Amino acid sequence: MAEMPVRSELNAVVLKIEVALGDRVEAGDTLIVLESMKMEIPVSAPRAGTVAAILVEEKQTVEEGQKIAVLA
Amino acid sequence: MTWRAELDELRLRERLAREMGGPDKVKRQHDGGRLTVRERIGRLVDAGSFHETGTIAGSATYDEHNELASFTASNSIFGRACIDGRPVVVVGDDFTVRGGSADATIHEKPLMAERMAAEFRLPIVRIIEGSGGGGSVKTIETKGRANLPGGVGTSLGFHYTTANMAVVPIVALGLGSVAGLGAARLAASHYSVMTKSSAMFVAGPPVVARVGEDLSKQELGGWEIQTKSGAVDHAVETEEEAFTCARRFLSYLPSSVYELPPRLESDDDPERRDDSLMQAIPKDRRKVYKVRPIVEAVVDRGSFFEMGAMFGRSIVTGLARLDGRPAAVMASDPYFYGGSWTATACQKIVRFVDLAETFHLPVVYFMDCPGFLIGLEAERAATIRHGVRAMAAINQTSVPWCTIIIRNSFGVAGAAHQPAGRLALRYAWLSGYWGSLPLEGGIEAAYRAEIDAAPDPAAKLAEIEDRLNKLRSPFRTAETFWVEEIIDPRDTRPLVCEFARLSDKLVAPGHSAFPIRP
Repeated sequence: MAEMPVRSELNAVVLKIEVALGDRVEAGDTLIVLESMKMEIPVSAPRAGTVAAILVEEKQTVEEGQKIAVLA
Repeated sequence: MTWRAELDELRLRERLAREMGGPDKVKRQHDGGRLTVRERIGRLVDAGSFHETGTIAGSATYDEHNELASFTASNSIFGRACIDGRPVVVVGDDFTVRGGSADATIHEKPLMAERMAAEFRLPIVRIIEGSGGGGSVKTIETKGRANLPGGVGTSLGFHYTTANMAVVPIVALGLGSVAGLGAARLAASHYSVMTKSSAMFVAGPPVVARVGEDLSKQELGGWEIQTKSGAVDHAVETEEEAFTCARRFLSYLPSSVYELPPRLESDDDPERRDDSLMQAIPKDRRKVYKVRPIVEAVVDRGSFFEMGAMFGRSIVTGLARLDGRPAAVMASDPYFYGGSWTATACQKIVRFVDLAETFHLPVVYFMDCPGFLIGLEAERAATIRHGVRAMAAINQTSVPWCTIIIRNSFGVAGAAHQPAGRLALRYAWLSGYWGSLPLEGGIEAAYRAEIDAAPDPAAKLAEIEDRLNKLRSPFRTAETFWVEEIIDPRDTRPLVCEFARLSDKLVAPGHSAFPIRP
């Protein structure tokens, strides 16, 4: 399956990374939890696959549209 | 028959007009995965209902006997048709003739389409491709002079393009490459849809290259750019889907401001109480939830029609039915900045409540607003300017209004949850949580001296927070009648359906106090 980038849909801070490289995930599984306006905002897998890359670290700031992980 | 020869010539000219730009150009259109304008109109409207105006307008050549030698139709096609049995005006650009540009348009045709919509009080659907009847550089040579935009004899089209927004529903479909005047006609609508293979821009790649940007059509004005920017409301895979969206949008609206929105029979019980609503809001206030299922559980089953989903995303806007009655629905989406009002969300609110006001739609607002977005970027975006505009837009409405506070209501954006100068209906869910500003950060500001004087400032902060939290039960607010009603969330549908019934008597046909802008 083609690689699929996962992007942040808002400006936020990375609160928690819930998966590790190579993990098998189902569509809808939480990959990364972002924090914005004191709220925890889960970023979930748009489809099933394996985690091919995690491009951010906890506490890092991310911008809207930024690629934060890659699914394969 | 006396007039046989003349009838034959009329039919011949009509047949030539239906050939559009000729088989080669039609093939090119199809090869590009796009329908011709006549196919588009045919699929948009009720079968066989299109009655064209000005079919045989175009440009002709004549032989030495002054007999018709060739004929090319104008690339603006329009007429009346029915959608779901209701009459509309449809106007479409024929890209197979000069790429839809002005030199083959006869500009009185799209103008008459707009006038027909205004004066016969009919919704108009614009099918746009190319420059939408706008001039091309070639026009200078074909006309022998340079066109003054909005000059003598050409300004009326611009008048109707925007003025019609205050009179009749306008749906615009961008199908293909849409530029210049076409882009303006697409954006000057109540609801616009583009296909994902289309692109829309003020000026296309070759022109943009001259200002130093080397971009493809998609990079410059593809669907992701235009729906996120809010210039286009919705993007779909196929032209067929675009037609479905257009028909569905119109189904909620009156044919013009001189009518009221059409009520349909509903088979969904207005007294239905959905148990999912009892678990919809997480007890942990830092946790988000999906708001669309909440809206869908309340409105008539399957009736929620979202518009502008990619823009100003902390607010969800759409049309729905309540016991068959059309309503405008806004809802906060905590997945985007916790539902706080961003500058773009405020722009979306202005446009949306103006739509509701124009077409006499009661508004239901599912509110969870922790305030305006804060921080440097928010200040740079003039969030407060857009915020008070949104508040003013809400205050200027006269349509019936009902707010369900489902969680947060904080600050000035929190205050803007119903029209401030008149009575609206308001219900707070058990999960309601409010204040002038959030405790976090707010305590440090308000109790600075007390915290600083304490031997253990952190413990003092926690102590104050605990003290204040005990006071913020929504029941205490209700006890003082600062909020009039706290409800079991499952009662929401019966209550908003009652609101919709009450609204029947409160709306009247006619122009709104101010004309809506695109």
